Amino acid sequence: MSQSNITWIESTIVEDEVYMTIVELSHAASTPEQLIMDWVSEGVLSPAGSSPQDWRFSGDSLKRAKTAARLTRDFEINTPGLALALDLMDQISRLRAELSRLNGPA
Amino acid sequence: MKFRDYYETLGVARGATEAEIKTAYRKLARKYHPDVNKEKDAEDRFKEIGEAYSVLKDTEKRAAYDQMGSNWKQGQDFSPPPNWNAGFEFADDPNAGFGGYGGNYDGDQSEFFESLFGRGRHRQGGRSSNARQGMHFKGQDHHAKILIDLADAYNGAKRTISLHMPTQDPEGHVITQERKLDVNIPKGIKVGQNLRLSGQGGLGMGDGGAGDLYLEIDFHPNALYKVDGKDVYLDLPLAPWEAALGTSVNIPTPAGSTLELTIPPNTKSGRKMRLKGKGIPSKEPGDFYVVPNIVLPEAQSDEQKAAYQELEKAFDFKPRSHLKG
Repeated sequence: MSQSNITWIESTIVEDEVYMTIVELSHAASTPEQLIMDWVSEGVLSPAGSSPQDWRFSGDSLKRAKTAARLTRDFEINTPGLALALDLMDQISRLRAELSRLNGPA
Repeated sequence: MKFRDYYETLGVARGATEAEIKTAYRKLARKYHPDVNKEKDAEDRFKEIGEAYSVLKDTEKRAAYDQMGSNWKQGQDFSPPPNWNAGFEFADDPNAGFGGYGGNYDGDQSEFFESLFGRGRHRQGGRSSNARQGMHFKGQDHHAKILIDLADAYNGAKRTISLHMPTQDPEGHVITQERKLDVNIPKGIKVGQNLRLSGQGGLGMGDGGAGDLYLEIDFHPNALYKVDGKDVYLDLPLAPWEAALGTSVNIPTPAGSTLELTIPPNTKSGRKMRLKGKGIPSKEPGDFYVVPNIVLPEAQSDEQKAAYQELEKAFDFKPRSHLKG
């Protein structure tokens, strides 16, 4: 039981501390860069910066991009349909949060 | 191994047309997709539906499945007949491998599926390097889910976690390997957020460098605290006289310490007391809510009944005056 030689791997909280380029996001969400550009032009993702080369995606874009990739694949929906589905899902989660604020959490 | 009735899973007749199978699959997929359905068993159900569809939508696989006959029942003990699939040729699903839940996912198929159709071709590089000259690719990013304690989110923690990673042996077979990682978890992580461990994903090719490992966080269920984003709730039972007269109570904090809390006189059930900034720490920390819950002791002995009667005399209390009965 020698505890002394353990090297603890450092980790960072993606949603709070990480900004990603389109290359990194494409890699992390296993999604082609072209598809991410389509999502940005439809407003699914909103990076800072003016051109794809200097886009900076906030950490919570990763979860959204992964959800978008799953919905696109599993339902074969196009980008406008995807944008609508995500907006409606956002509304549902806002309503759920409001409900739990009124009733206390489940 | 249990037999899986793919027709029953999709709720279609054995003679269903391709169009009927697709419609049934789509309806069930929309209902059980884990991004849409937040029930606990939705993901398992979605995978069953996806597995059933991956067989029944494929003419060759469906024909092979059908020739086992219609006498098998869902859940019946099963082993594949010898040479059951002789003469059938299966193509890999070209859609497999792009970030979805459904379809042929490595490690997601049932044992039943794998005994019949084998495992899907493994698309991730695993941790095995395969450096070809002049080729440089960054390794795959890997994703996994882990459970931690709420206290870890408050204090940060050093935890040894074990992950089951599909990887390839030297002959190219897919095997599941256990991998232990000693991780320094920073404080402030919340449910559904991800930790990134740089360079702990799949190995790259050439000078490409390793991919990253992403760990999605959930908390172990906790009997005391409920968590909502960065806010934490504690239910605080109070005796009627404590709530009426006010008192001071010691409460355990999610961080593991004890806090003395003053209960003001005439505290009401359900009226949340906010301890600002005592939720999960962060640049903008969450709040810790203590929710008073007034508990009535049962009147059993004569003395206890008399005490309630004294209360009745002392108050001119009409709890139902608004009902105008």
